[in-house]
Amino acid sequence: MEQNFIKPPVEVRCAEELAVLAQTDTGKKPENWKLSPKAVRTFILGGEAVHPDGSKTTISRKFYGNDALVERCIITLAGSRGLMLVGEPGTAKTMLSELLSAAICGVSTNTVQGTAGTTEDMIKYSWNYALLLSKGPSREALVPAPLLVGMEKGIFARFEEITRTPAEIQDSLISVMSDKILNIPELGDDGFVFAKPGFNIIGTANTRDKGVNEMSGALKRRFNFETVAPIRDVRLEKEIIVKEAQDLARAGHIDCPVDTDVAELLAVTYHELREGVTAEGTLVDRPAAVMSTAEAVSVYFQTLSHAWYYDDGRIDLRLLTENLLGAVCKENRDDLEKLKGYFHTAVKEKSAKEGGLWKAYYETGKFLK
Amino acid sequence: MESVLRNREISEMIPCDMQQPVLLFPVRHHSPVCSYQLMRTIAAYQPDTILIEGPENANELIPILTSEETVLPAAIYYFYKDTKKLVSEEGEDYHCYYPFLYASPEYNAMAEAKKLGIPTKFIDLPYSEILIHTKGDRGLRTEQEKHSYADDSYLVKSRFYAKLCEKTGLRNFEEFWEKYFEIGGIRKTPEAFIRQMYTYCILTRRETPQEEMEADATFAREQCMAARIQEAMQQYKKVLVVTGGFHSLGLHELLQAEVKTPKLHSFSPEVQNCYPMAYSYDAADALRGYASGMQHPQFYDEICKDLLSGREPEGVYRDHTLDLLARTAKESAKKDIPISIADVTAAYSLMEGLAALRGAQECGMYELYDGVTSCMIKGEKTTASAMPLELLGRLATGDAVGRIGDRTHVPPLIADFEAQCEKFRLKARSAVPQEVEIPLFQKGKGMEESRFLHRMEFLGTEFAQRLKGPDLHRGTDRSRVREVWKYRRTPHTDAVLIDHTTDGVNLEEACRTLAGKALHRERRCEMAARISVDCFLMGITLPPQDTACMEEILVNDGDFFSIGKGLYYFDMLHSLRMLYGFSDDAVLRYISQCFSKLTALLPTMGDVPPEHAQECIEICRILYGVTGRVLPERREELELALLTLTEREEKEPSVFGAASGLLYAMDGSRRTQAEGAMRGYLRGSLAMQKQGALFLKGLFETARDIALTDQSFLRMTDELIGGMDFQDFLEVLPSLRLAFSYFTPSEIQSTAAAAAALHAGGAEDILRKKAVNEELYLFGAELDREICGILGEGATG
Repeated sequence: MEQNFIKPPVEVRCAEELAVLAQTDTGKKPENWKLSPKAVRTFILGGEAVHPDGSKTTISRKFYGNDALVERCIITLAGSRGLMLVGEPGTAKTMLSELLSAAICGVSTNTVQGTAGTTEDMIKYSWNYALLLSKGPSREALVPAPLLVGMEKGIFARFEEITRTPAEIQDSLISVMSDKILNIPELGDDGFVFAKPGFNIIGTANTRDKGVNEMSGALKRRFNFETVAPIRDVRLEKEIIVKEAQDLARAGHIDCPVDTDVAELLAVTYHELREGVTAEGTLVDRPAAVMSTAEAVSVYFQTLSHAWYYDDGRIDLRLLTENLLGAVCKENRDDLEKLKGYFHTAVKEKSAKEGGLWKAYYETGKFLK
Repeated sequence: MESVLRNREISEMIPCDMQQPVLLFPVRHHSPVCSYQLMRTIAAYQPDTILIEGPENANELIPILTSEETVLPAAIYYFYKDTKKLVSEEGEDYHCYYPFLYASPEYNAMAEAKKLGIPTKFIDLPYSEILIHTKGDRGLRTEQEKHSYADDSYLVKSRFYAKLCEKTGLRNFEEFWEKYFEIGGIRKTPEAFIRQMYTYCILTRRETPQEEMEADATFAREQCMAARIQEAMQQYKKVLVVTGGFHSLGLHELLQAEVKTPKLHSFSPEVQNCYPMAYSYDAADALRGYASGMQHPQFYDEICKDLLSGREPEGVYRDHTLDLLARTAKESAKKDIPISIADVTAAYSLMEGLAALRGAQECGMYELYDGVTSCMIKGEKTTASAMPLELLGRLATGDAVGRIGDRTHVPPLIADFEAQCEKFRLKARSAVPQEVEIPLFQKGKGMEESRFLHRMEFLGTEFAQRLKGPDLHRGTDRSRVREVWKYRRTPHTDAVLIDHTTDGVNLEEACRTLAGKALHRERRCEMAARISVDCFLMGITLPPQDTACMEEILVNDGDFFSIGKGLYYFDMLHSLRMLYGFSDDAVLRYISQCFSKLTALLPTMGDVPPEHAQECIEICRILYGVTGRVLPERREELELALLTLTEREEKEPSVFGAASGLLYAMDGSRRTQAEGAMRGYLRGSLAMQKQGALFLKGLFETARDIALTDQSFLRMTDELIGGMDFQDFLEVLPSLRLAFSYFTPSEIQSTAAAAAALHAGGAEDILRKKAVNEELYLFGAELDREICGILGEGATG
């Protein structure tokens, strides 16, 4: 399929792998699932799809970190409870939610984006007012929103940033999640919509915003919670930066090789600032800003784009540092001092010990203003 | 994965036939499946004897461990004192535990042998020999807090399994082991299980460097074990050998030829010995940190008991994980964590689903953890919200402490300890920390119980820790009449008591011996006196040779401050003798000796450095107190010493003040001398005036009534303050504040009234009214003067 979009959905991006897995899947499937739980696991965590003739197709890994968490998510979705992914921003909650939806339902776009202005009709249904006026309340005049779509088709409804919506809107999910029925009173006796097998809800909530503490106990009871933690392994973080940057470059037609040493430098910087301690044991101040792997990828890709368009593909470390500055010092003025402090202690130490790229990186510290 | 573990080529390197003369049964310590398959193997193989991996110097303890009265967890405690420096030049003491749980294959082998009436024995090198053959900082000589003989580190740290985990997405060795051995293994035939163990252990051994095995005495131990097996083969037709799986290949290779019996050193029981002791699940769980045990010992013990009771293995994990899940929910509810039946149902369904997804035959501990994580933690997983996981961990670990049945083999100190625990109704069979409140001075067992706990603390058993109550060492909370103790029996408690076996037959005797030893190491009076405080708290009287040692310390110590502190302790013990119902006649002699030494040294303390002045004043006060309570006949001696001190030219002002105060207290007519001294400071230079504040501080500390009888000192204080500018006043302010801090509130009020009267005010003005800003006051005073001047001019004009 021609992919002439900025970001095609997972089911489009990974259509080939999904097709291979569907062909080779011999596992038991919950009703209405496109793939068996085992094949879903393979799709997300990578592995091999074995064809009937014994040949194998390698399936790439798409989610890094806690494999057991992914398994728990899959099994949760096969049950009667919803799945709530919580964690720091940039920990790939949305990506995991998309992957699960794409693999299990074949669709990852049945989504509600939670905001302070989200209303119940954005979640459940609204009306085509022209039809409503001409024909009165009827199925024809009904405009289904993701929840209703999910129930009718037996697929997942994804609810992004659920905790950003007002509590009373969140609570409108309770009856649907308990009884798997949505009542549309305007339609009278025909107004009961029963959820088809396969329907479920995946919510995401980040802990930096309102958090899940304000969520009602009744709604919490209807979800299984999974906390997605930031990646703690620098090596893995570097791999992700490289892979994601490569994907973004490919999508942006930037034919520039990814410098793995620079990716490592960035991974180490993000990791140490997030953990508040360097590999050498030096304590550093943690910035208030979100130091997620997604942010690191963004900083790297920004630098790579600049190199491609202006510097003949050469990565300029000064630009990397300036992009880092822009990413870290967003909300809190103290973060600039913390970043400077990191350069004056940790980067200086590494520059003296390892020289080379770290030395050049340290020298760009003077541009932190 | 399964195909790797079923590799025939590797597993057949060691023969496994139920008819062969020697069958090497490989185990992982504390593994239920190994116990289960071992029992089935014994039934199939019908051995004439069972040989078990374990230091052979503990053979006589086998009947005690397998006694029906013994309750597990129990352990064999080995110690070796390297007095001959055979292990290292440092000549250190070594000890280690060999724990046994109901899931331990070694224990089950011993118990089964007893049931079948066949001989069984340990075949490894004695503990001392293992240490002698181990290179520095390896094996049982590594520098760690806990040493367990039952070491699985080779299996646990194997890089081979790490690669397998990476491939299969398992989190760690325990998950790997549970899935493929514990759960997967119970459905296999004994032969198939043995072969799977051989495969894993051989692959692990293959990647272990030879030097490593040489350094931690693996080869030397296997040599000994092989020799013992060959000896048994000459006597019996069928020999079953139960060892850690890692040794199976090494033993098999050695058994292909004749093995020389190793030469062993001979040691007396004081140098090398072993005892049976109670152990706890908690301690067994802690050992996994040293790769010497399995996680969740109580959970696996229950599984093992169930398997060995004859039930079908099918569903055993399912039943036990479900039971644990329900108990976790119940415990969580007790902590006000709202967990509903629906949550438990959802968690169980998740566990089953995960087991199916992971290809496990039943859900195990890791699926249980996953179920609790998903369904019982509401919201973000944090330390606070993860309480259900913590409760699950605690329940799976267990908190029971075992018991040695045959009391004749229980070391005397442990027997005494247990008897005392029973007497005072302390829970010695629980690993959960307990608290007890002891009324010290009421009729009953309070003081006795306190002494018992103090003895346990003194021995370093870590059994009891005092949380509240009078602290005689620091001299704090002496008014408290109750002690609150936190206590908990751990294997360390038993180990320390065993270590002190040679010190006495009961706790009192051991403490007395230990206190005597400690005293003989001391040179300073203060520290020696602290040992006396310990003895006082423990209700122990030292024998004559130790009191002589104490007197020698007092004679030889020339440090005024150390002796002063010693006198403080001895005086305190003397004054508390009635209250605590314990007296030691020697204390009076110590007080007298300290007094003599201090009065002899006191005159030289006149020019004590300022940082020691306060300590010196304290000692003077103690000396004065002693002459009032204990040695009234020696007051003159003190008076003379104080007079000599005050007559010295160089005098630290606060010490001088304190000495003057004490002299005034002895003889009221000396008031004039004190006044004279204060005037001397007032008339001196500014530096001398500043010293006057220190003098006052010392004086009021020992005789504050001198300021209350008439107003001369108050006026002098007023004069002192009035004569200084603001900066100098600030400099002496701390000393002045300290000087007046010795007064009681009513005395402060009367002094304030007197001070206010000097400035035509009332006490209330000083105590209650808001202070006026100094600059404003000066401005007002200046204004007053100006106005008075103008009015005066007007009047004259």
